[in-house]
Amino acid sequence: MLNNWLINIFLFFLLVVPSAGLAVTPPIPAAPPGQVIDLAGIIDSGQKEQLRRILHELEQKTSVQMVILTLNSLDGEDINTVSLRTAEQWQLGQKGKDNGLLFTVSLQDRRYRFETGYGLESVLPDSLLGTIGRQTLVPYFKQGNYSQGIAAATGAVIDILAKHYQVEITGRELLPRTRHNQNSSAASLVVLLLMLLLFSIFAMARNRNRRSSGGSPPIIFPVGWGGGGGFGGGGFGGGFGGGGGGFGGGGVSGGW
Amino acid sequence: MSQGIKAILIVLGVLVALAAAVFFWGIGRYNQVVAMDEQVNAQWAQVENQLKRRFDLIPNLVETTKGYAKHEKEIFENIAKARTSYFQAKSVPEKVAAANGFESALSRLLMLQENYPNLKANESFLKLMDSLEGTENRIAVERKRYNDAVRSLNTYRRTVIGRFIAALAGVGPAEYFQIPQEQKEAPRVQFN
Repeated sequence: MLNNWLINIFLFFLLVVPSAGLAVTPPIPAAPPGQVIDLAGIIDSGQKEQLRRILHELEQKTSVQMVILTLNSLDGEDINTVSLRTAEQWQLGQKGKDNGLLFTVSLQDRRYRFETGYGLESVLPDSLLGTIGRQTLVPYFKQGNYSQGIAAATGAVIDILAKHYQVEITGRELLPRTRHNQNSSAASLVVLLLMLLLFSIFAMARNRNRRSSGGSPPIIFPVGWGGGGGFGGGGFGGGFGGGGGGFGGGGVSGGW
Repeated sequence: MSQGIKAILIVLGVLVALAAAVFFWGIGRYNQVVAMDEQVNAQWAQVENQLKRRFDLIPNLVETTKGYAKHEKEIFENIAKARTSYFQAKSVPEKVAAANGFESALSRLLMLQENYPNLKANESFLKLMDSLEGTENRIAVERKRYNDAVRSLNTYRRTVIGRFIAALAGVGPAEYFQIPQEQKEAPRVQFN
């Protein structure tokens, strides 16, 4: 009762204060408009559409509600505070199951956080999420490849969830995988060079066979196709909303 | 005569209705203050859960750290002492004091990683740190919720009616989980 009342007041402020022109960065919406809220604008539109679809599939099959949020800046606040406040306000996860997961990235602060609902704390322990952050997300982020880093980390999280709930998330294959550039950088370099060689031989052979006018570029790493693109506005009222899940500060934060 | 009886009956009816209203209102208040008290207890249990979780992590963390920093005996001894004193504490204020004492011992342990760079590169140490940091954050969250519950109970106990109802229900004031000023910043680790 009291809580609802407080939340209403909070929502009121969230809606009114930004319109007073105080907010520099786009404010975090009072309710999640979808599974991917890219306020920092760092996720490719094709990838965004893929992530959205995969997270929707995840919710359909496991009822786990995962949301990705990117921010320009935390405006001086701690990422733990912002993340928990947002997750609680959005009530991610199903009521009673508390299986919400908020994945936040703040660009200027160079901080990220996975916030797990009570019900996911045992499936996704902090230490496991920490490893995903260090080994999957950070290598991409260090190169400024935020879109790929977010997609790869999401893929790693989805792998664990899919295994735990014994479901298959089709489309996970479209997301990049962990790059092991620390332990086996030499090995992967060799593989890369071999691939380059094979590709160019292949491309040369093909060019010789049929003389296409364009002269196809030898290597293209498929990053984010899917033909999305036209989803720019972000205004899609697909009936997405939090299910009443609870959070208790579980999860892990990190920087890059 | 019959008119007099009628008047008396009406007055009686009104009085009974009033008494019933006050009675049910009183029950509502009474239940409310009991619920507030229960909320404080439940929330304290959550705090203890998380504190316990933290103390369960410590032996592992100490073992891993010892492998890299054998001669920092004093730090390890302080940790062990602070941990024991928490488990010996009985009342809420004692436990709060012990938990706060432990935090300063812990922050010294966490500082070690600055002097032993190899420690920072050890994945199992990093995982332990993730768990510990996560637990510290959970403690902070549950502590805040506990203090919120204490605040609403104690505030109610100081209102004119609340004072009376709380005495009737036998609900005493609750203790805040206060952190000493110099420790407001919880032990924190950042990796770059």
